[in-house]
Amino acid sequence: MRELKNLAKRLLEEGTVKVVIGYEEGPVGVRPVFVTRPADAEKLVFNSRCVQNLAAYLSRRRGHIARLGKSAIVVKGCDARAVAGLIRESQLKREDVVVIGMRCGGVALRPSDEGPLTPETVADRCSGCESREPKLADHLLGELPPAPPKATRMFELMAQIERMPVAERFRFWAEQFERCMRCNACREVCPMCFCERCIQDKSQPQWIETSPHARGNLSWHFTHAMHLAGRCSSCDECQRACPAGLPLGLLNRKMAEIVRNRFEYQVSDDSTVPSPIGAFKQQDPQEFIK
Amino acid sequence: MSRIGVFVCHCGENIARTVDCAAVAKRLAELPGVAHSVDYKYMCSDPGQALIKQAIAEKGLTGVVVAACSPHMHEKTFRRAVSGAGMNPHFCEMANIREHCSWIHEDRVKATDKATQLASFIVEKVKRNRPLQPIHIPIERRALVIGGGIAGIQASLDIADGNREVVLVEKEPSIGGHMSQLSETFPTLDCSQCILTPRMVETYQHERIRLHTYSEVESVEGYIGNFTVRIRKKSRSIDEEKCNGCGACIQACPNRKSPNEFDTGLGKRTSVYVPFPQAVPNIPVIDRASCLFFRGRAKGAKKDVCKKCEAACGKGAIAFDREDRIIEEKVGAIIIATGYQLYSIGKEQANSAFKGYGEYGYGTIPDVIDGLQFERLASASGPTAGKILRPSDGKEPKRIIFLQCIGSRDPAKGIQFCSKICCMYVAKHTMLYKHKVHGGQATVFFMDIRAAGKGYDEFSRRAIEEDGARYIRGRVSKLERDGEAIKVYGYDTLNGAPVVMDADMVVLATAMVPQTGISTLAQKLSVSYDRYGFINEAHPKLRPVETNTAGIFVAGACQAPRDIPDSVSMASAAAAKVLGLFSNEKLEREPSVAVVNRELCTGCFHCQRVCPYGAIDRFEVKDRKDTLLKTVAEVNKGICQGCGTCQATCPSKSVELEGFTDEQVFAEINALEWTGQGNSGEGGRR
Amino acid sequence: MTSTGFEPKIAAFVCNWCTYTGADLAGTSRIQMATNVRIIRLPCTGRIDPLFIIKAFERGADGVIVSGCHPADCHYTAGNYHARRRFTLFNDFIEFLGIDSRRITFSWVSASEGQKWADIVNDTTARVRELGPFSGYRDLVRSGLTGGQDAGT
Repeated sequence: MRELKNLAKRLLEEGTVKVVIGYEEGPVGVRPVFVTRPADAEKLVFNSRCVQNLAAYLSRRRGHIARLGKSAIVVKGCDARAVAGLIRESQLKREDVVVIGMRCGGVALRPSDEGPLTPETVADRCSGCESREPKLADHLLGELPPAPPKATRMFELMAQIERMPVAERFRFWAEQFERCMRCNACREVCPMCFCERCIQDKSQPQWIETSPHARGNLSWHFTHAMHLAGRCSSCDECQRACPAGLPLGLLNRKMAEIVRNRFEYQVSDDSTVPSPIGAFKQQDPQEFIK
Repeated sequence: MSRIGVFVCHCGENIARTVDCAAVAKRLAELPGVAHSVDYKYMCSDPGQALIKQAIAEKGLTGVVVAACSPHMHEKTFRRAVSGAGMNPHFCEMANIREHCSWIHEDRVKATDKATQLASFIVEKVKRNRPLQPIHIPIERRALVIGGGIAGIQASLDIADGNREVVLVEKEPSIGGHMSQLSETFPTLDCSQCILTPRMVETYQHERIRLHTYSEVESVEGYIGNFTVRIRKKSRSIDEEKCNGCGACIQACPNRKSPNEFDTGLGKRTSVYVPFPQAVPNIPVIDRASCLFFRGRAKGAKKDVCKKCEAACGKGAIAFDREDRIIEEKVGAIIIATGYQLYSIGKEQANSAFKGYGEYGYGTIPDVIDGLQFERLASASGPTAGKILRPSDGKEPKRIIFLQCIGSRDPAKGIQFCSKICCMYVAKHTMLYKHKVHGGQATVFFMDIRAAGKGYDEFSRRAIEEDGARYIRGRVSKLERDGEAIKVYGYDTLNGAPVVMDADMVVLATAMVPQTGISTLAQKLSVSYDRYGFINEAHPKLRPVETNTAGIFVAGACQAPRDIPDSVSMASAAAAKVLGLFSNEKLEREPSVAVVNRELCTGCFHCQRVCPYGAIDRFEVKDRKDTLLKTVAEVNKGICQGCGTCQATCPSKSVELEGFTDEQVFAEINALEWTGQGNSGEGGRR
Repeated sequence: MTSTGFEPKIAAFVCNWCTYTGADLAGTSRIQMATNVRIIRLPCTGRIDPLFIIKAFERGADGVIVSGCHPADCHYTAGNYHARRRFTLFNDFIEFLGIDSRRITFSWVSASEGQKWADIVNDTTARVRELGPFSGYRDLVRSGLTGGQDAGT
């Protein structure tokens, strides 16, 4: 942590960056902080409650942050995938950001969750994580902690759904989507959601019904998952942000599994590796096509 | 507010027999936005088109929907009609209620409902159409002809004589194609080489024809008016500039045992060879597979095994180290004239759709040959100097039996079509045989005699009446060796009895199929082909020399089995199309291209990745102080072909394809709910 | 026909150059087929957005056909390859959401495959007729639907 504070202070003093996007302790848990003065670098922390994916602040939609000038950003491995995604899709130039990678031992479900990480308290995204040391990093800080415990709740829910017959699965999702109120927190928190005008907001024509009934919501969440296919950084922030408790991480996780099985691709923090959606092979699978 | 005119065509009885056109028109009149809705017998006729023009003028129509045949038939017709009445042609579209409705259903009620719905989709679409203007792009006024047989030669000469440059690519070392292998041609019995070689020479010497022989098309990029073609000039291992065709190298070559492809395997040639004496260009080729020098090198020999040709060459033209070269040519139009090959009767087939025959002994009985092989025997410059001799023992056959329809017209062999030329050339063969072997007897086993061309029937009768050919209607089940002869087991259906005959030689009239590798070439050009490999024409009756890919035409036997007069006609027709295309300085393109909304575009460039034509560039949006605000996608109107993949890929739909915009497609989908029976659905209120 | 006389409504999104022309050929050859399909013409399968299918279900389609050129034969060279990947994701994903992928037929029908088009039309119609109306999808606008009718299939 001292390492991080010193580095941030130095970057700001030297004028290398105008703002360091990182984490600080807030009144109800860890929260993002935008440090512009070297003295404020003292606020920066890094611990198992640094749950948020700060890459969302590098998106051009956050114009007020971009206007501050060149930034440095504190990232975990999962966050680094999102930064790489922004670079890959021309939203950010590599040379316009200083990436401070943190060696990570996993995070809790919520930024306010004190205590050690256990299979019950650890975030779903940390299970089986292979990016505890982000490769996309100008500076790599911290000691590598032991691997986090594995949470099984998402795997179990996924397996449960896959065991259901089709009609039952439909009812399950219909129930879930009924609760969605289209607050769009999932969209706001996602770093890969940076469209100037989201397809939901297109009214001529209105492909996605804006009414928050199960049908309109299904249309939105289905489309959201399709648009994130091969791009999602699997940070599960969408699920954490959802006030209605929808298992949105499950949708993206299923999509990532499909992309992996069908196209042998996993999103990484290497921005030079292109997404499989937008590419093709002559021998792509097509057993479902008559 | 939309004022759409709907015109429901009876198409005589074609549509009216199954669809109640008056009812369709009546129901569509109820659709909001429809100002005029009528039915008529023949919309494409002059009075039909006049109805449209009249309605546009009298009712101030803002769009026209013609519910009739497929837009592939008449969209252009009706667009021209509305254009004539002062309406932008893109406000006119067709609903297909014939091919997609009246012709495929019997139930009148259901067909009428369906026709109404199909038309309603198009009405909703047209309400959202925009007045598109044609796009003009420059054209490269040079043509590429692929294939140097008679069709390719004719097309090249026609275009070159029309003052445009032609690039002619031929994969064999000489142009001429199969016609150069023939001895005499029906129905005149002219010597094939005599009429062909002057054309070949003219092609070679023409100042506007750039000939690339022993070459193949490697890749084709671009689009009509602007193709970039990469051609692989295979290495002859000879320096073409230095060679003067003296033939000394051929005399010197120690290997005289390679099978001669031109003589269909009946004769032998050297490793350095010219395919036939009248070859154009008269430059030899070294067959690296049989050449001792190259075989030695491949085995890693330390010393050069043989260089006799190099020693004999007075011009230093032997170039062992010359490799294939790739050159690039820019052309505006392409003609495919790759011709045919004969179906190989054996079990091994290049096209997996075809099956061979085991029962005819081809390949095991040496005196069972095919039509091209007989031509080589009959040919004065062939392996037997024009004498009909048996390949097995060189004796003159006294009895030749000809079998028609081998492979053709046989669903069991995967070939359903008739090869068109075999009845004629078999009659010709019987006559050539009789003229050369006066005591010989020709017998033909036939299913039908197809002699439909000019002078054809007279010709085939001559074979029977003057040259004594015996025609037996029936097929042959088996050929068997019987000592020195061949026993032929057949059936005479007119007499109703089996027939067993002895022959000294049997000639099989095999099916005429496209060249091997045609599907690969077609894919490079993105033209479609059928299950046999024949190139698909744009329309079987009305557009026989065009393909569905703009700028690419087709001529000759690569499109379907065809004789020489028809191949030549088709080649001239394709050349005329090309010259017509080239008669304008700029090409007018369909404006159905993609357009980026710069305000909405986020600059993620997914579209750029997926565009098959590389039509999407990056554009920098700047403010008045020249500060870069954002970089967005931009579509090059000249290159975009209008597939719409960019739009389906764009997450925010910031790029739209004119003619198939989101609004248009959405309106069509919405119209699914409207049944035309009092329920106007949720869409369609404009 | 089922005892309720239910006739499915099927929307077909087809590419102009191959399948639409193949369907034309079926017509020219007078090949008879089921009346339930409504064709919407698009330039290429590459233009087909999964949202078209979702919207078709919302608007009353009980089944959908998506058809285009065979791989390597796309008129625009690569549109169908991109569509193929897109629909691979779509097909696998909707099953996860509980939408029966048997309601959707994906096919490659070339301009000379009139009979194949007829077969696709007839097979899809028969299959969707058996699956029954997809009213469960449209009815998702009502809340409290999880009790009562078999919404999902």
